[in-house]
Amino acid sequence: MPRPRIFGYLAVLFALILTGFFIYSLTLVFNENITFSQIDLQQLSNFTFYAIAAPIGLVSMVVIGTGFWIGWTILAIKVVPPMPEIVEKKDFSKIKAFFMCIITLALGVLLIYGIYIRNFWALAIPAAAICIVILGAVFWVGIAIITTRSTLPEEKQKS
Amino acid sequence: MKICLLSYRGNPYCGGQGIYVMYIARELVKLGHEVHVVAGPPYPFDEEGVVIHRVSNHNYFNKKKDFIKPHKPFATFQPLNFYEFVAAKMGIFPEIETFSIRAFFKLKELLKTHKFDIIHDNQCLGYGFLLIQRLGVPFISTIHHPLTIDRSTWFEYPSDFNIKMRRILYYPLLMQKFVANRMYKIITVSHNAAIEINKAFGVKQKNINVIYNGMDSSLFYPVKGVQKKKNSIIFVGNVEDRKKGVIYLLKAMTLTKHKVSLTIVDGGAPNRSTVPNLINKFGLNGRVTFTGKIPIDKLIRLYSRNEIAVLPSLYEGFGFPAAEAMACELPVLTTTAGALPEVVGEHMKTGYLVPPRDAHAIAEGIDFLLDNPDLRREMGKAARKRVLEVFTWENAAHELVAMYDEVINAHR
Repeated sequence: MPRPRIFGYLAVLFALILTGFFIYSLTLVFNENITFSQIDLQQLSNFTFYAIAAPIGLVSMVVIGTGFWIGWTILAIKVVPPMPEIVEKKDFSKIKAFFMCIITLALGVLLIYGIYIRNFWALAIPAAAICIVILGAVFWVGIAIITTRSTLPEEKQKS
Repeated sequence: MKICLLSYRGNPYCGGQGIYVMYIARELVKLGHEVHVVAGPPYPFDEEGVVIHRVSNHNYFNKKKDFIKPHKPFATFQPLNFYEFVAAKMGIFPEIETFSIRAFFKLKELLKTHKFDIIHDNQCLGYGFLLIQRLGVPFISTIHHPLTIDRSTWFEYPSDFNIKMRRILYYPLLMQKFVANRMYKIITVSHNAAIEINKAFGVKQKNINVIYNGMDSSLFYPVKGVQKKKNSIIFVGNVEDRKKGVIYLLKAMTLTKHKVSLTIVDGGAPNRSTVPNLINKFGLNGRVTFTGKIPIDKLIRLYSRNEIAVLPSLYEGFGFPAAEAMACELPVLTTTAGALPEVVGEHMKTGYLVPPRDAHAIAEGIDFLLDNPDLRREMGKAARKRVLEVFTWENAAHELVAMYDEVINAHR
């Protein structure tokens, strides 16, 4: 088997195993009565806590802020209405955008409040979401490496 | 002078920015300057006297599959590539931003052997430019038009929440606004574009210089002996680009008293579904021909074969297709949107201007021009004269060099 393909399989395995661990940890929460939320983050020093909370909080705020900005732009943008002949269905995007603004605003407030009171879930949920996205991307690339054609284009073979 | 041009897409077939880089580089070489072009794919064509430095990417945004290069299978795991991959899969268009960072590394390397007098970017404005500014070389940028206009014209068409969300994510407007306000000088290609840049990005008017694009009138010229096809009109442009307003032209075709036939020159059409659907909807089957991607000589013959060029744009920062048609002595029917009046000139003299988004006015204009062949001929001749006088790449290059001198002196 060519070396790139082996590494492709390794990337897929890596992503799958870590995702598996993550799912397993969720079953622990529900089946074994472990209450993560009672983990006392207050005992951590400020530096230790914010070393974890600041990057996770910032990334989460960027994502939530982007969501709010999308909703707000759809609500606020003023454009000429489309030609009536080509309108096939009613556009509910402004209503959806309004709810998106409300939801993202609420999530943002919750996140900031959660970090402020040092709640476990305020860090755990965004951290899990970030990990899932990264692992998903690693899995995707791994699959692409496995399935990609292994023959080089002619000009690359010559060089 | 040693000049370095930057362009995240360098090929003239990928749009106005590729054409701009090709002609500006060519003219600057003719004036005796040493020109280097740092460009992303699709790369510019080789040009005599121009040194091209290629900055590759994986084109994650456009490639849904086969984005792994067999000779570099792990490249996607490199930090910048991985960011580009994740961002692209989330619907963000990261090419501009990542090109600016890659261009920084490329320039850092190039500056070891080449002492550039000036670096001139072409419509990129990525965060990497803040790093390039630290390299100590005067650095300016050309903005053809702000992308806020592209976004708002998309919103004028029927769409749902998902499409709107994707469009908002696609355009890197916050980044471009942030970077544009930190550039020493911005060049733009029309007075209207300067106003729009000021409105969209808040760049002060005194920091914006207008230098008109040129038109290669030796390449675009009226071909002698070509028989005009009766009641024929031509549209040149990307039909999927909402700001081109092709929908208003199709609607107008249902309103004209003459049964006109339309030729659409667009490399991607008719594989894209929007326009074929509209043709069905408006009952125009058999009256619209798609040429697909064609070489320049065929395009010039098409300009000569048709009776009118129609450019129903909702906005143009300059409008190359209008200038091309004018150079071919073809009367242009276009709108008063954006810079088109600046390019086309006087209504009824060098072109025919109608309000944007007005299918009835377009239809009236087509009928009027088809009914008046003598006026069409005069209009075509006056249009070519205007192009030869006002829009030459030679003028553009001279003005650019004067501007480079000003920026370099201010930098010392």
